[in-house]
Amino acid sequence: MTVRGPDALLAPLRAVLEGAPADEVELWAHRRVAAVTRYTRNAVHQNARSDETHVTARAVVGRAVGVATTNATDGAGLRALVADAAALARLQPPNEEWPGVAGPATYAAAHAFDEATASLDAAQQARAIARITARAEARGMRAAGTHHLELREDAVVTSRGAEAYAPLTLAYVRALVQSETGAGYADDLGARAGALDPDGVASRAIAKAELDRDRRQLEPGDHEAVFEELAVAEILRVLSLHGVGGQAVREGRSFMTGRIGERVTGRLFTLHDDALDARQLAIPFDVEGTPKRRVALLEDGIARGPVHDRTSAKAMGASSSGHAADRDRYPVGGLAANLVMRGGDASDEDLVRAVRRGVLITRFHYTNVPDPKSATMTGTSRDGTFLIEDGRIVAALANVRFTMSALDLFAGIELLGRQRLVRDWWSTNGMGEIVCLAPPMKVARATITGSSPL
Amino acid sequence: MPDAPLVSLVDIARSRGASYADARAVEREQESVNVKDGNVESIDRSADRGVGVRVIHKGAWGFAATDRTDEASLRGALDDAFARAAAAASVAARDVRLAPVAAQRGEYRTRVERDPFAVPMSERIDLLRAAAEALRGENARTWRAGASAYRTRKRLVTSEGTDVSQEIVDTAAGLSVLAVKAGAKPVLRADMRRARQAGWEFVESYDLLAVARRYREDAEGTLDAPYGEARPTDVVLDQSFLALLVHESCGHPTEADRVLEHEVAFAGTTFMWPRDRGSLRYGSEHVSITADATLDGGLGTFGWDDDGVPAMRTPLIARGTFVGYLTSRETAAALGIPVAIGSARAEGWQHFPIVRMVNVSLDPGDATFEELVSGIDDGLLLESPGSYSLDEKRQNFHFTAQVARRVRRGRVEERVRGVGFQSLTPDFWGRCDRVADDWELHGFLSCAKGEPLQLMRVGHGAAHARFRALPLEIQA
Repeated sequence: MTVRGPDALLAPLRAVLEGAPADEVELWAHRRVAAVTRYTRNAVHQNARSDETHVTARAVVGRAVGVATTNATDGAGLRALVADAAALARLQPPNEEWPGVAGPATYAAAHAFDEATASLDAAQQARAIARITARAEARGMRAAGTHHLELREDAVVTSRGAEAYAPLTLAYVRALVQSETGAGYADDLGARAGALDPDGVASRAIAKAELDRDRRQLEPGDHEAVFEELAVAEILRVLSLHGVGGQAVREGRSFMTGRIGERVTGRLFTLHDDALDARQLAIPFDVEGTPKRRVALLEDGIARGPVHDRTSAKAMGASSSGHAADRDRYPVGGLAANLVMRGGDASDEDLVRAVRRGVLITRFHYTNVPDPKSATMTGTSRDGTFLIEDGRIVAALANVRFTMSALDLFAGIELLGRQRLVRDWWSTNGMGEIVCLAPPMKVARATITGSSPL
Repeated sequence: MPDAPLVSLVDIARSRGASYADARAVEREQESVNVKDGNVESIDRSADRGVGVRVIHKGAWGFAATDRTDEASLRGALDDAFARAAAAASVAARDVRLAPVAAQRGEYRTRVERDPFAVPMSERIDLLRAAAEALRGENARTWRAGASAYRTRKRLVTSEGTDVSQEIVDTAAGLSVLAVKAGAKPVLRADMRRARQAGWEFVESYDLLAVARRYREDAEGTLDAPYGEARPTDVVLDQSFLALLVHESCGHPTEADRVLEHEVAFAGTTFMWPRDRGSLRYGSEHVSITADATLDGGLGTFGWDDDGVPAMRTPLIARGTFVGYLTSRETAAALGIPVAIGSARAEGWQHFPIVRMVNVSLDPGDATFEELVSGIDDGLLLESPGSYSLDEKRQNFHFTAQVARRVRRGRVEERVRGVGFQSLTPDFWGRCDRVADDWELHGFLSCAKGEPLQLMRVGHGAAHARFRALPLEIQA
């Protein structure tokens, strides 16, 4: 994966601003090179690489905004793109909510980029997978998963003088190990492929798969619970999408609406969005060219306020916190995509030891939100659901359905472990782009509403 | 782009030792208009093009794609595809085999009466503004109407002699209204699944304003409605609700790649295994579900899939019994199924084709809607899904309804709110005791699957159907 760099991405954008047929112009270039090796039953079954660059132009004519996107990124293609966006703007009445494009700013340096990761090849990805499959085979098990490397380069220029470029690398490996009786799952995520630990991933997944035998069904009701990091990330996603965006608060869809400054959940719950945290995977500016800021969302259970893009900020009398998201994937109004939940120092054993009788959940599958206002999520667990009695795991459980308000769940936090960089199920699979530094937690009460068959 | 040198690329791949190769050039265009709260919120246009090259080398797949179409870039993509195949083969030999298909030649084009890209923008905006205004009730907080047009041109060349070109046009319209009132939970009434492989004539074929007025009444009427009751209840589900249930609980678990555990770490597997074909009781005798890529107007309709297999019609569930899978050439061969049914689809040029739904539909019955309702003494009519969540085998699911209305002694009456249900797939479909004849086609624009993620447009038809004693949950 060859890095194109700031000059290659910014120069054509700058050039097309000259003489652009619009009052304001914003150009966002997004390059994504993805090398994805998928494996199942201890063999690679899909192995794909793609390299694509798209440029999105927003052209403003008299406060009307036209948007156009292309992957024809040469000079002629970009000139046509801006002309197209301007032509679309001229078809529209003025948009009174238009906040204007961003002006010049100072940006933090890109911290989530590793040159060595960008230059890794398919053979090295295969070797990492082979270490996992060898361990699974040695236990008579079969492994499946993904080794994913990605290089992103983002650049933004505006006619008001904003100009930003940053690269990012993403390295990810996961393993779902199946035995004849059950399954276990583990993954590892970061900016550096060299820091991934495929052996550790395999060991953790195998250990879970070995425990997953002779499943029982858990009766519905309220149970003490340990949520591992991946399960916590799934709950944080609900807050991100339905609670802490400026537009959700403005429209009255959020639990925060009218409650900023009030206690909305337990004192042990603190959540920030912080793209600048060195452990996070983030570009330090958003698609509008605004520098990303650290935002306190909830502190000690008290709602502090949402994140904003330029549109929600203008509407709510605030300033953008740098949280404009790809409009192809997320609605306007601010997306908190680099969540940092305060952790603790409890070990995995401490968390389990704290449970008299309850459930351990490794991760969730295909969650959804039946009641956005109360941040209520439902979803089934998978790949490691266990019954805990008197401080130790005593049995495997069939997957359970969990349905509960995130705020009620976090109100019951009793112990927190150490944070780990994880993504929810949707974001892991590209349906979202939320990255969490999330701790495992022990909670007093999790509502289980059903069970899958044995 | 369809003029990219695909034939020579495939020839080079064969000369370098690929046992199979194909090259696919794709150009995509999209145009969307959205009106929010009476104002034009956005007019977006996007276009991209590129080439994907797939080889089987040393018994393994390798795939690479590029948005650069000069010869050096295309050769570079081919090099990448070979490198990735060799790397795949180094982990374990799988020896990919493909079910046979005769070489295909030809063209497929959507029959379009009115090109949606050529409809004057002012006409689109005027219609959407009127629809949005019709959505606006006393408590409306936001109200939106939108329309989108999609055009895909693609050409597939394979090393087995296939060379096919297609031009597919899809058109969609959507409405949503959020009603907010002090003391009540917000109500969202939305439907983004009015989509068809057709031109603008699809939007003109139904009364968008009448639908908008109904949504306004649903949103306003549900705000103050009492909550339903959590008990086993006879229900009638509408077409849009059942279209999604068919998608989630039948379409996905009959995808053959889930059987082969290609998707086990992400999308999951299935509860419908090869040993169950012809015997597994999926639902009652009233339930038949068919995959049909030849259906006029379906978002899953085409001339050939991305393996070059011609479109066909295949039963998946026959009178309640599981009988068939959705297959690609690779998955059909792996399962010992002699003929692939043509379900290999890739979202774009940058994606590896995987097993996807085409148009998967609940077959119509012979009852009228009135006959279904008249058979209910104390039940509910449920319209349009709200939240939905499924387990990795597509067996345990949870759905909520956007709109629920009481049915008393055969008459549809007032609204209730908060209605949802959790069920197991065979149990749910086993409760179906009648399907109506009012079949209609729906289109989903973004079915998610694969890594990197691919969003696929798929079609689903359904008629009203009745289910007995379905245990309900209430989200108060």
